[in-house]
Amino acid sequence: MGEVVESSSTGFVAQSYRLYGAPHLGALVRTGGPYPAYGVVHEVATRGIDPSRRPTARGEDEATEEDVYRSNPQLEHLLRTDFRAVIVGHVGEGETRYRLPPSPPPIYAFVHECPADEAAVFSSSTDCLRLLAGSGVAALEEVVSAFLRHAVAAQADPQAFLAGAGKQLAALFPGDFRTVESILLRVAP
Amino acid sequence: MSLDLHKIAGQIQCMASGLSVRRAEREASLALALDTLSTAQADVIEEKRTRSRTTFLVAGLRGSLSGRHPCPAPPSDYAALAVDGSHIDVDRHLAARCYLINLGTVHIRYGERPMAELGSRPRLYTEDDDMYLRDPASGRTQALEGGLLGALRAVEELRALAELAEQSPADVPTLALIDGSLILWALAGQAYQEFVRTALIDDMFLPAMDRLRELARNRPLALAAYVSLPRSTDVVNALRLDERLCPYERANCDMHCGQLPSGKRPCDGVSGVMDRDVFSAILDYGERSDVNLTTSSIVERSYGDHAVNFFYLNASEEIARVEIPAWVADSPDLLSLVHAGLVDQCRKGHGYPVALSEAHEQAVVTAGDRDEFRVMVETALGAHRLPVYTSLKDRSKRLKWL
Repeated sequence: MGEVVESSSTGFVAQSYRLYGAPHLGALVRTGGPYPAYGVVHEVATRGIDPSRRPTARGEDEATEEDVYRSNPQLEHLLRTDFRAVIVGHVGEGETRYRLPPSPPPIYAFVHECPADEAAVFSSSTDCLRLLAGSGVAALEEVVSAFLRHAVAAQADPQAFLAGAGKQLAALFPGDFRTVESILLRVAP
Repeated sequence: MSLDLHKIAGQIQCMASGLSVRRAEREASLALALDTLSTAQADVIEEKRTRSRTTFLVAGLRGSLSGRHPCPAPPSDYAALAVDGSHIDVDRHLAARCYLINLGTVHIRYGERPMAELGSRPRLYTEDDDMYLRDPASGRTQALEGGLLGALRAVEELRALAELAEQSPADVPTLALIDGSLILWALAGQAYQEFVRTALIDDMFLPAMDRLRELARNRPLALAAYVSLPRSTDVVNALRLDERLCPYERANCDMHCGQLPSGKRPCDGVSGVMDRDVFSAILDYGERSDVNLTTSSIVERSYGDHAVNFFYLNASEEIARVEIPAWVADSPDLLSLVHAGLVDQCRKGHGYPVALSEAHEQAVVTAGDRDEFRVMVETALGAHRLPVYTSLKDRSKRLKWL
């Protein structure tokens, strides 16, 4: 799906191989490297590869947005899609650990979106929310609820999963009923 | 100290007011040129040109002076190839003698199967044979630097374009573009000896042209050079030979008017007018002028079957000059491909052919790149325990001590 192009202990930026080919907001992804890291996508951005060249409007004479790209095939090479993920766990000694990896994913580590079965295993423990809730990323409530929507779809017992997640959120945001309610209301389809 | 802008501001104002005064003169000159154009007979002027000796470059008139051709429908499927280049010249303050040419290449296909390939080919030239051209007969040498390196770069651009064309699919009409002129102006005149022209034109440039023409025999491939904001005056100079501006049956500028001060010759009424001024008054959007021929001495002497023809094109907010070899000019289909393809390219590129624009982006060497290149050279030399000596002048510029 992409490769790590910026990396730190708490998160990474990956460049998508395909323009607009990034995973969705809240998706669970996993990197390669000696300590494969799990991340939750919290920002997706598409921009010009050369920061000095700003995209300009091209579609005045085109019928659809797709036609803009068909008439300007070079755009696929001049734009790129990046996605940012906050690290929510890693794999160490064959086990899933809900804490930061000893070292961040290397630059150029491959990044994959986790398939449903892997996402179900990772999110089966409500500990999966701890690093995400404390990350301080922008639009945190949106990102947590998007992650939960992905996670609940992979669970065999969605109701039980949501009940557990609600309890964990209440513990992670003590006394902040409004935030917990706001997140849970957005999990509903 | 950097440039004292306060001191230069007044001079800029003087320049602007001077241009403002001369604007009225230029408009009168343009009006005279257009009036002359409306009555001039191209065949009469062309016949006179062949009998005349002028001190200015006059277009060889193949068509009319004021012909206009609407834009043909662009092919639904076509490919645009483009090459542009940048170079880092030999720097005598650098510890190693070398130069770098970076070629940007673009292949964009439009229509049913749209795709694009963008790339760059930087090459460092360091060997003795790279640094000098040698005359095998006399053993004389000519250093490849400055203007001559610019000419070499233009030659390398055309060679890369020929290679790009050979690698591109043959089943689609293909427009192969280079930026600037097909004429290697740096080699015109007496600045360089004949062996320099032989090495760059006969041995390198013309074989690349031959390769492109050979491809064009079996597939729809057209070569064109695109000159933005051209300053050429070939067509206006043809008007100077019209009987209204030149009273002599056979013009001989040196003999008839050589003693007259500038501005007093009969044809000076159109001085300062450029071809683009004339055609911007004639051509509507999408239209091109008639195709005419350059009579540049270097082309007539060296280009053989690849004689450079040109037309003017209104493809955007400016009039561009498009240069094509004779084998494109003589083929209505290829001429039509150049015309329609360039109008489409300019429409997609906000007024400038998008394939050339992207080739430039691939080729450009920024000031930061130049600095980094210099550091890389010095680091590599240092790693091999080679002396990294630079001139004291250069060191003085870089250290800026007080």
